[in-house]
Amino acid sequence: MAARQTVSWRRVAADPALLTAILAVWILLLLFVLYPLAHLLERAFFDESGFTLEPLLASLVDSGHQAAFANSLILATVVGALGTALGFLFALTAVRAGLSRHWLTFLDAAALLPLVSPPFTTSIAIIFSFGPKGFITHDLLGLTNVSAYGFWSTMSAETLTYFPIAYLTLRPILAAIDPNLEEMAFSLGGSRWRIFRTVTVPLAVPGFANAFLLLFAASLADFATPLILAGNSFPVLPTQAYLQITGLFDFKGGAVLSLILLVPAVAVFLLQRAWVGRRTYVTVTGKVGQRSRSRAIAPWASVLLVAACVAVAAIIVYFYALLLIASLVVAFGANNSFTWHHYHVIFTEGLPAIRDTLIIAAIGMPLGGFYGVLVGYLIARRNFPGRRAMELVAMINYALPGTIVGIAYLIAFNDPPVALTGGVLIIVACYIFRYSPTGIRATVALLQQIDRSLEEASSSLGAGSGETFRRVTLPLIAPAFFAGLGVVFIRSMTAISATIFLVSISWTLITVRILENMTEMALGPAAAFSVFVIVVVFVVVAGLSAILVRLRAPAAGAAARSFLGG
Amino acid sequence: MAPISIQLDRISKRFDHTVKGEVYAVREVSLAVEQGELLTLLGPSGCGKSTTLRMIAGFEEPDEGTISIGGKDVTHVLPNKRGIGFVFQNYALFPHLSVFENVAYGLRVQGRDEAAIGRAVGDVLELVGLGRYERQQPHQLSGGEQQRVALARAVVFQPEVLLFDEPLSNLDAKLRVEMREQIRALQKRIGITTVYVTHDQEEAMAISDRIAVMDRGEIVQEGSAHQLYYRPASEFVARFIGRTNILPGRVVSAAEVEVEGLRIALATSRAMGETVQLVVRPEMIELGPAAGETGAAHIVQRTFLGEKTDYLVALGGSTLQVSATDHYRRPPLDVGQPVTVHFHPEGLHVLG
Ligand SMILES: Nc1ncnc2c1ncn2[C@@H]1O[C@H](COP(=O)(O)OP(=O)(O)OP(=O)(O)O)[C@@H](O)[C@H]1O
Ligand SMILES: [Mg+2]
Repeated sequence: MAARQTVSWRRVAADPALLTAILAVWILLLLFVLYPLAHLLERAFFDESGFTLEPLLASLVDSGHQAAFANSLILATVVGALGTALGFLFALTAVRAGLSRHWLTFLDAAALLPLVSPPFTTSIAIIFSFGPKGFITHDLLGLTNVSAYGFWSTMSAETLTYFPIAYLTLRPILAAIDPNLEEMAFSLGGSRWRIFRTVTVPLAVPGFANAFLLLFAASLADFATPLILAGNSFPVLPTQAYLQITGLFDFKGGAVLSLILLVPAVAVFLLQRAWVGRRTYVTVTGKVGQRSRSRAIAPWASVLLVAACVAVAAIIVYFYALLLIASLVVAFGANNSFTWHHYHVIFTEGLPAIRDTLIIAAIGMPLGGFYGVLVGYLIARRNFPGRRAMELVAMINYALPGTIVGIAYLIAFNDPPVALTGGVLIIVACYIFRYSPTGIRATVALLQQIDRSLEEASSSLGAGSGETFRRVTLPLIAPAFFAGLGVVFIRSMTAISATIFLVSISWTLITVRILENMTEMALGPAAAFSVFVIVVVFVVVAGLSAILVRLRAPAAGAAARSFLGG
Repeated sequence: MAPISIQLDRISKRFDHTVKGEVYAVREVSLAVEQGELLTLLGPSGCGKSTTLRMIAGFEEPDEGTISIGGKDVTHVLPNKRGIGFVFQNYALFPHLSVFENVAYGLRVQGRDEAAIGRAVGDVLELVGLGRYERQQPHQLSGGEQQRVALARAVVFQPEVLLFDEPLSNLDAKLRVEMREQIRALQKRIGITTVYVTHDQEEAMAISDRIAVMDRGEIVQEGSAHQLYYRPASEFVARFIGRTNILPGRVVSAAEVEVEGLRIALATSRAMGETVQLVVRPEMIELGPAAGETGAAHIVQRTFLGEKTDYLVALGGSTLQVSATDHYRRPPLDVGQPVTVHFHPEGLHVLG
């Protein structure tokens, strides 16, 4: 094996472009992934006298922290289960209820809306609906003295926000189960319910597991929703860590808390790899039958499914309508007369945040897109020592809860030798290394469909590896480039969990302003900001989709979909 | 003799196999290709032909051994520095570039000026009969046209050697014949040293100056089509190239071998009484109606194929394949009919 290693190294050394690219990526990964993580661990486990578990143990016996830990797990479990169920409902309806294209588009749009929205939108809408002055609780039901805060509202908001992940995971799996298979069981005399239980559901089981784990991880890492909705009665780990740092300036305590969050996160990651990742999802397919209404679902059941989905979709649409209205009235619930005032506010007082966010997104977008394509290319196409390690390290910031990444960056880049806090670079870097892995994966997936011989042809024609990448590979993986860039842009506009630790007087973010507005109960501007973000994201996604369609490249559609998957 | 253009010196390549561990895809292959020669690597699927070719191209690096092209050691030289034209089985045309740009690619990389590129590309497209296709996109071309673009692209920058990996296997039978003639004509015209990989023995025989037969990672015989056909070195080569009969025989004198009770005149250096294997090609056997019912052989099956008639003949314990190409001159032999069997001495070959 040693001989093989030297051969690879010699190849790499003979190829300056490749060597440069590998070194550059490793330097970036060291600086922006491993270095902050190392600092976080050092802060948590070392003090003047060396290694210590003191802070960890202190944190573990703290009853408040224990409660936060338990709450986080309970919340993640319930959101995982309910979100998976809801996603399954949508997926089943989409593939089996024989809906027309228009209805499908409507369901898709409603289901995907939450994924491209800033994190507080559902929370804001819930407060508008169920708060003390809520449209439903107060105006419709005439209740007073209700609280919109706590487990139930947090759980509902997270379920509505994250169930699309389950939908996106389960839908292709259900679609790949040949309806003929169900029909065959049906023709053999099984009852519909029995077939559903014994054929459809078992085939979808790995999908359920995967969806559950994804939702569990998303809820575990969610920071924005509990910060708004959980209130004092229901503390969870990410918010506790945040308060520890911003409230108490206790960096060590925050670091330790965020690391406790790491335990379930890593467990989920390993479970997913070991258990779900290895199975092939679809065990049986024949030639896929026509996409007509499957007889395997009784007509009344179809109607029920559609009704349920439409109800959920209606709730989502209602929430967004509420958001829009709230941004256009003086004080929602109290004074419902029309005004542009909130928009005026966000484009005057709020302008710095908008400008900063757009600048950050605009810088991060091309860099993140290029970084994703480069790393994906190196991983999928080049053979060099340390390739697997590069793949793994590149995924770390993506897999970690944002709170951990944010705290790690804050601790690592606060002091020399790499003092970056307060600047724009730290925020951009955080987004790039946290959200480019989507682009990396899209690139790898696309490259697997592009025959290697194209690059070999280029190289036999005299092009070096850099020139081949530029002239052949890059044009062919353009869809992945745009998908990766799109995800970085969307997340730059909407994410908060990591970057809330990194904003400063000179550089702030729309999402952070929304949070401030919420805590000051300035709900109108918060709603206006949210609407603005949704519109910008929508316009950019539509633009990128148009580019992807024009590229007509293989798998452009899949790449487009990965916008949302990430 | 022309100077050597490509020299492989005991090159080996191992791959990791998930079950078998490390396996040799190519083992100690040595080979010399002369300037302007077309040499074919021929062998069954998985024998290591492509791997050998890809090592010449530089896409793979040998674990052992050295490769030189034009007298220079290129074992560790990257493919883009070797000056090779490569034609792939799947053509590997750049899907995002027009026919013109595909062919111009190598010239652009070299930084030639626009006028020179235009002329060179125009000429070479004319040469492969695609003069009017410059603006087409690859996906608008038929398989044969794509293959010709790939060929044009590989030769336009005047590489030192040209390599083909099963270039015709995606084409239909008729086009295959046409294209291989075109390739051969072009290769002769520009006199370029060429290594050609195929698993089709007929294609190999039609196109090559010389053939190297590979089996399980090793070259088992090298020679002209004629030598391989009439003087195969092993049963493997005999069976792989053309149809063949392999018959057990016993040396009965310095000039005679006995096969299934027939004594055949054949000079051999083998010792008396030694058993040998004889290779006899089907068209080198002559059948005739036997007088009476006494013949040791009889017809088992007859197949009329137009240009020839194939017979299966039972002879002692063996079944012979016989092709009668002069069948138009004789009355057909019927199934069950006793026959005489005559082996042409020049078509007989003792293995080993
Ligand atoms: N990249 C690789 N990794 C592992 N094994 C390989 C690789 N490339 C080739 N092999 C193995 O090496 C052996 C020779 O492969 P090669 O492609 O040279 O065969 P071939 O003679 O070209 O066959 P074919 O006519 O089917 O193209 C095969 O057993 C193959 O499985
Ligand atoms: Mg091959």
